[in-house]
Amino acid sequence: MEKHDKQSDHAPVHISSYRDHWSTLVTLLLLTVVTVVISVFGANLAALSVATALLIATVKVIVVAYYFMHLKYDKKLYTWLVLLVAILFLAFTVLTAIEYFNR
Amino acid sequence: MEHLSGFVLPNSGHNRDDEASKMGMWLFLFTELLLFGGLFIVYMVYRMLNHEAFLLSSFELNVTLGTINTVVLLVSSMTIAMAITAIQKGDKKTSVRLLLTTLGLSLVFLVIKYFEWSAKIHHGLFPGMDFYNNLPKGEALFFFLYFIMTGLHALHIIIGAVLIGVVVHRTRQNKVNQEKYALTENAGLYWHLVDLIWIYLFPLFYLIH
Repeated sequence: MEKHDKQSDHAPVHISSYRDHWSTLVTLLLLTVVTVVISVFGANLAALSVATALLIATVKVIVVAYYFMHLKYDKKLYTWLVLLVAILFLAFTVLTAIEYFNR
Repeated sequence: MEHLSGFVLPNSGHNRDDEASKMGMWLFLFTELLLFGGLFIVYMVYRMLNHEAFLLSSFELNVTLGTINTVVLLVSSMTIAMAITAIQKGDKKTSVRLLLTTLGLSLVFLVIKYFEWSAKIHHGLFPGMDFYNNLPKGEALFFFLYFIMTGLHALHIIIGAVLIGVVVHRTRQNKVNQEKYALTENAGLYWHLVDLIWIYLFPLFYLIH
């Protein structure tokens, strides 16, 4: 856990290393391979494969936001705002789905 | 006024706030997320109503090209993140090279997308074409959403590519440098958003069967 002085204009800037970026890319590529393999070879598990694909996509999105978009090292405010928007969208989605299935 | 000649306002010439600039970009990204979010909800509802049709139609899409484009965007996300690392280290040359690589990858994405769309249009699947008009409702809705959503996404790729071009230009002019690289960071954030949206578009359209 980095503790940066949030009030200071000269808070130390975190510079992600090239190596870290490579590791992030490898993680994302592996997750992509897993999604495609499950989808192409697990065709008879239709429902499961869609849920899995969305779950893996969400993991990928979190990895991109956390490392590439630098949320890990930015002020926590950004993370909270992203979560707020995510919850808002999820609420729209879930409410719409519940409404659909109850008619 | 002689006595004021050496006087410099504490903030003169430095009216910039990188943190506020970044916050502005994030707020804009939130509006983008909700724009695509609305389309994803439309997709969800139409898919629940036309389950079989959506599954069948998804077989029409080329998983190989979709996967290649996913890899292209992931790699381009890394190169632009590295361009930020480079400029932070004061290595402008590497930063420009990485930005140009990102730009090149965005063009690769668009060329692949062009071939995909051409194949679909060749089969008459574009909304309004004769073949499309005679499709059952569910299949037509799938291709309607496919063109709308990947089209809007491709538009974002084009805007992102232009933005990256601007960053390259400004870095070469030294207007973006080791002390002042908020533009590179914001272009990066925008580019990652375009990547994030594709991360969901890809399984939902190409892999649902």
